[in-house]
This record gives sequence, structure tokens and C-alpha cells, in this order.
Amino acid sequence: MNIDFNQNYFELFGLPLRFDIDKKQLHAAQLKLQSEFHPDRFVNADDQEKRLAVQQASYINEAYETLKHPVKRARYMLQTRGLELNDDNETTSDTSFLMEQIELREEMDQCKSCQDPLRCCDHITGKLDQRSKEYAAQFVKLFEQGELELARQVTRKMQFVDRILEQIDEYQLELEDEL
Amino acid sequence: MALLQISEPGQTTAPHQRNYAAGIDLGTTNSLVAVNRSGKTDTLPDSEGRHLLPSVVHYAENGKILVGHAAQQKQASDPLNTISSVKRIMGRGIEDLKSLSNRLPYEFDGNSDTHVPRIHTRQGNVSAIEVSAEILKNLAHRAEQSLGEPLSGVVITVPAYFDDAQRQATRDAARLADLNVYRLLNEPTAAAVAYGLDQNPDGLIAIYDLGGGTFDISLLHLNKGVFEVLATGGDSALGGDDMDHAIAEWLIGQAGIGEVDALLFRQLMTAARQAKEALTDADSTRIELTLGEQDFSVEMDRATFNGLIDDLIKKTLMSCRRALRDAKIDKDEIDNVVMVGGSTRVPRVQQKVGEFFGCEPLTDLDPDRVVAIGAAIQADVLAGNKPDSDMLLLDVLPLSLCIETMGGLSEKIIARNTPIPVARAQEFTTFKDGQTAMAIHVVQGERELVSDCRSLAHFELRGIPPMAAGAARIKVTYQVDADGLLSVTAEEVHSGVKSDIVIKPSYGLTDQEIETMLRDSMSHAKEDIEARMLAEQQVEARRVIEALDSALAQDGHELLTDEEYANIQKVRNELEKQIDVANSEQLKKAIKAVEAASEGYVEKRMNASVRQVLSGKNIDQVDV
Repeated sequence: MNIDFNQNYFELFGLPLRFDIDKKQLHAAQLKLQSEFHPDRFVNADDQEKRLAVQQASYINEAYETLKHPVKRARYMLQTRGLELNDDNETTSDTSFLMEQIELREEMDQCKSCQDPLRCCDHITGKLDQRSKEYAAQFVKLFEQGELELARQVTRKMQFVDRILEQIDEYQLELEDEL
Repeated sequence: MALLQISEPGQTTAPHQRNYAAGIDLGTTNSLVAVNRSGKTDTLPDSEGRHLLPSVVHYAENGKILVGHAAQQKQASDPLNTISSVKRIMGRGIEDLKSLSNRLPYEFDGNSDTHVPRIHTRQGNVSAIEVSAEILKNLAHRAEQSLGEPLSGVVITVPAYFDDAQRQATRDAARLADLNVYRLLNEPTAAAVAYGLDQNPDGLIAIYDLGGGTFDISLLHLNKGVFEVLATGGDSALGGDDMDHAIAEWLIGQAGIGEVDALLFRQLMTAARQAKEALTDADSTRIELTLGEQDFSVEMDRATFNGLIDDLIKKTLMSCRRALRDAKIDKDEIDNVVMVGGSTRVPRVQQKVGEFFGCEPLTDLDPDRVVAIGAAIQADVLAGNKPDSDMLLLDVLPLSLCIETMGGLSEKIIARNTPIPVARAQEFTTFKDGQTAMAIHVVQGERELVSDCRSLAHFELRGIPPMAAGAARIKVTYQVDADGLLSVTAEEVHSGVKSDIVIKPSYGLTDQEIETMLRDSMSHAKEDIEARMLAEQQVEARRVIEALDSALAQDGHELLTDEEYANIQKVRNELEKQIDVANSEQLKKAIKAVEAASEGYVEKRMNASVRQVLSGKNIDQVDV
């Protein structure tokens, strides 16, 4: 039994193509596939079967990682409808969104000079998590309505928020190293 | 001869087709091998009952290579030809070594093309890979002696934090030792398996592994027998040796020692290790040193020792914090903390780790043996001996894989903690008309500058079809397998032309070099094969004699005439005499002779046992 590389990731895991997925179901489906296709199941097989096992397990992992992360999942859903996000030359003209980004970044910089920087970081993280949820809700609605271009713009914003969260993470790491 | 051992129908003890597998913990300070025998998995002792094999190899004057305790005995008297802690050098370059430890006593020859440091010994220059291969051979031999069969495959454990070069070096060592590697398994995962935590329905497990030379923290998620590594962290140059170092430095200060040569250094380290071990149970210990003419003696209490190692413990806890952050989990979500590695016997370590995670760490199993046991359990599953087991170990990439871009910056291709196996593709284009080659430098690490990461290899793509600048689209695919090892393929997208890839590993051996080493070891191969066959026949001979003796004791006099009995005894005694003196071929013949002589006896036993089953039953009560 081989994996059909032509099916989309949702089909691979037997899930409906939608943003709100059951993470437990996704995880269980991934484990079920891996327990069948992981290279560990083929240690006594011939070289070709071994190679195929590595490829199939890689494909399952790639699919799982994509669907697990909200931003990657949103991007992938757009991709199934023929819409790509190009990382290099995407810009946004939403000025209120841009303003918010700038404010958040300033707040983060101020963090560094305040009394309790770790707590300050937590505060910003809380705000950003809230934003993520709002954007996700917007994405669900827009995608269902077939407003794909608007859904794409929301995905961009989700990605922005994600990057700031990553930066805060890195900054917290530095802080911990100093402590 | 199986017929001599008659068992009840349905309770046959003879296994069908069994693959013999072993788990090997290739450690910095000590190495171990474990196998599964009759359903029980445990580490194997040597002929003197010692389970730990010191990871020490001695290159002797008579051309022999000593491994383990025998090599360790030479450490003080002949330090330059006695290699220890070689795991620290695996997959490392000469530059790394300088920063690794300022007091490695060996003389290195770093002028080879591939920058694999070679240690100068009286038997020539040897790489860490060859030294490790000697240790592996020794352990594999121990397992084969015990099983009486050649090994079909092994699982070798590595620190979860090992990068590609270090993993590759470990695989190369196994290849030199002529072992079939089922899988490189992360040490912490092996420890969790050994504790049988896979029997729990689910949970979050932290594995705190402080060995002789490496520290690892791994966070595992367990779900219905499937282990998933959520995050790994640690330091591949931190461990119990550093505790010894700290004590040695303290001793140097206390005794006012100026110059430290290799010999004195060994003495200091040995005294330091003894003091550390004594302080596990005692509150205070006396350290005695012989410094040239005069003796030096000093008392060390546990508080002083704790003071020396607290920084080291703090470093390990920082790594724990980072791993928790990577996995996005909180300290109090951890259900179990497993302690691995001899250094976790230090009470201060147990105390601090317990405080950090807020729970009592698991210390029931011998922290030195737990990894090898786990590896053997997985080896048995991978060998196909447990078809019902659904144990599956899913791993992640320990360090990000990156390529060098303009200006010496690194660009991440695959981020650390990505589940493996994994494949990622990337497209490049040519920037000159007619360009047919290009170079890719792959590094591993988290830093932005390539110079701060570990260089893995330079890939040179050749045979790109000549096109106008920017027209060629070269798709490069990075594939990481289940062991965490990288391979690279490239193809021009329009033409489908595959590029030839020439790999220059930064710190590993080229295939050419390994082939040369394999050829060198071929000269010993014939002796090795004979030795192995002899060992197998010896085990077989003992088994035959044992089976025969127990059968004869049971019904020998009953079923055989005195003459028949004496005849069988004679051939049996002949075989017994041969065991320790004959070569494998002679021994095989002697076994055959016993089998031939007892053929009639076997038949009689069969008939007798059938009669016994049938007696007292009507013919229609017998299942046919």
C-alpha cells in the first residue's frame, strides 16, 4: 500500500477541507499513517522500499505540520484554490493594521527598559493572541463566502502577528539567558 | 538435536525465525550492550561480570588494540596512546577541539583534506570514528558470544542534540565495525522506553540526561505507545567530566601545583572522580595525591563540592527552560522526570532537578544502564521479533539546517524540532550565461552568521544544462531521514536534468576514506570470521551436551542397552574434550558425530513419548 501523493493534505488525514479542524483527530490520523509508513517499519526491506518509506513519512510529516499551524493551514487552503502568497513582495495597504504593527513594535522596545520585561512580554503576547483569534474568525467567514482575495489579505495579517510573536519569543530567550 | 528436548504440543520453545538484535549505548565515558533473551531485556556483563565497558582504546606496543578495562589500565602510564572520551571528538573539526577542552592530552594531526582530526598514536594516526569502531566491535562480540548467533542488526544511541556530522560519524563507525544499524536512537527516548513509560496511556515526560561528557534534555509526548519528541536541548560538551575538571582545578589551587603534565593530569582526574563518587553517600571525603617527592592530602566536604558544580547544574537547567519554551509547555505540565547518566547519582543534581520541575525524579533503574536497555527493546521491535508491538518512535530534527547566502548569512531550510523524516525543496537560478555548476554550503545551527553555525558540507552541483542567466531553475531537495541524516539531490526543472552532486563533508570522512579503512580492516577479517564461527560452534556444542545429558539422566538407562549407552557417552565425551581446543570445523564434525550416534536414541524417545501420550486413552480420544 502506497500513499497517493496527489490527494490534498486534508484528504490524506480524512478531514474536511475547513479551517476549524479537530486537532485531536488530526493528530490521531497522523499517528495512524506514521505507524504504517514510518521507515522503522521497513528496516528489513530492500533499499528501494526503504527510500519510499522515507519519502512517504516525510510527506505525512509535511502535511501534518502544515495543517497543525493556523497560518500554514490558511495558506494551504488558499493554495488549494489556486492562490499563492509570495513572501518577498507582499505588502499591505491597510493603514490601521500598519499603525498597530508599529505600536506593538514600539511597545516591545519599551519592554527592554522596563522593570519586569518578562511580564511585559506576556502582556503583549496576550494582546497578539487575541488578534490571532479575531483574524482566524475572519478567515473562516471569508473563505466560506468565497471571498478568497480578502481571505488572503487576512492571512497576511495572521502571518504578521505570527512573526512578532516569534520575535518576542526570541527576545524572551535572550532575557532568560541573561538571568 | 532439537528432538532431544521434547516439549508439550503447543508449548514449543524453539523460536520460529528469530533475528538477533542488540542495543548499544556508545557513551562518552562508558559503553554498554543489551539484548533481549527469553523475554527479558538487560545489559550484558563481560567475563568478569562488569556491565560497563570503559570507552577507552589503547594502541599497544605489540600492535594489539586493547579496549575497555584493559585499555583503562594503560591510561596513567601511557596516556598518549590511550584514547578516552572519544565521543566528544566525533564529527568535530580541529578548531572545535581547541574550544572544547584546553586540556586534551592527545597530539592531533589536523592536516587531512576533510579536516577530520586524527590522533597520533604509535600505531599511526586514528580518527574518532576508528576508535569508536573498536568499542562497537568489542560490544558486538560480547552480544554474539551471549546469543550464540551473529547479530542481524543493532540500535545505537546518540545524544538527542547530536548534529548531522556527529550522527554520520557514529554511523560510519558502525560501518567500520561491520554492523547493520537499524536505527540511531536518541538516548532520552531510549530511557523512556526502558522505564516502560510507553505502557502509560499518555503524558509529558522530561528526560534529564547528564552523562560523562554530554547533557541532554528531551521533552517527550507519549500517546498510546507512540513517543514523540517535542523538543530537545542540551550541550554536547558538558557532563560529569566537567565536574571532575572542576574538582581537579580546585585541587591544583589547594595544592599549589604549577605545571600540569599529562601524567599528573590523569592522576588529578582520577582522584577527582573518586572524590565525586564518594560524596554521593558521604558528607565529606579525603583526597590523597602523590606529587613527586611529597604527598598531599586534603578534605573535601559536600558543600564545597556543591559549590563547584552549581554553575554547571544551572547551565543544564537553562537548557531545560529553553526546551520547555520550544515545546510551548509549562514546567508543571510535566508528568514524569527520568534521570539518566551516571552524573545524576550526584545528590545535588537530583535535588536541583526536583526543585526545578517540582516533582520527584525517577531514579529506580540504574542510570548507567537504562539507555542500553531501551535501545535493545527497540532493536527487538525493529528486528521484527515483536510483530504485535505497535511501539513507534517519532523524532525531530535537533538543530536547524541552513544554507549559506550572500554575505555569510545563514538561511533556514528546515527549522529545528521539525518532525523527521522530512524533505524540503528550494529553487535556485543561475546568474551567468551558460553557467553549468553551482555550490551550496549547508550548515547546522540557530545563529544568523554562518561562521557561528556548524559547517556540514559543501555540495557542488555539476551538469546544469547551459542556459541564459536566470533561465535555469535548479530545484534542490534536502532530505533528512529517520536517523536525522541529510542527503541532497538537485535537478533542473525545465529539462529534468539531474545534477551530479559532489559532497565535501566538512568534518566527516569521505566514502573513499571509509573504503580505505574497510580494506585495511579486511586483513583482520579472516581471523575475525573464524573467531566468530568458533564461538558459534562452541555455544552449539555446549547446548548439545546439555540436552543430551538431561535426556540421558531422564530415560537413558531405560531406553538404551548398556552398549548403546556407553557408545553415546564416548562420542559425547570426545565432543566435550574438543570444545576448548578444536577449531570451528573440527568442532562441527564432533557435534555431527554426537548427533549421528544418538539418532537411534532420539527415535526411541519419540516413540516412548508418543506411547505415554496415548496410554490410558481410547483411540477415539486421541486428537489427530
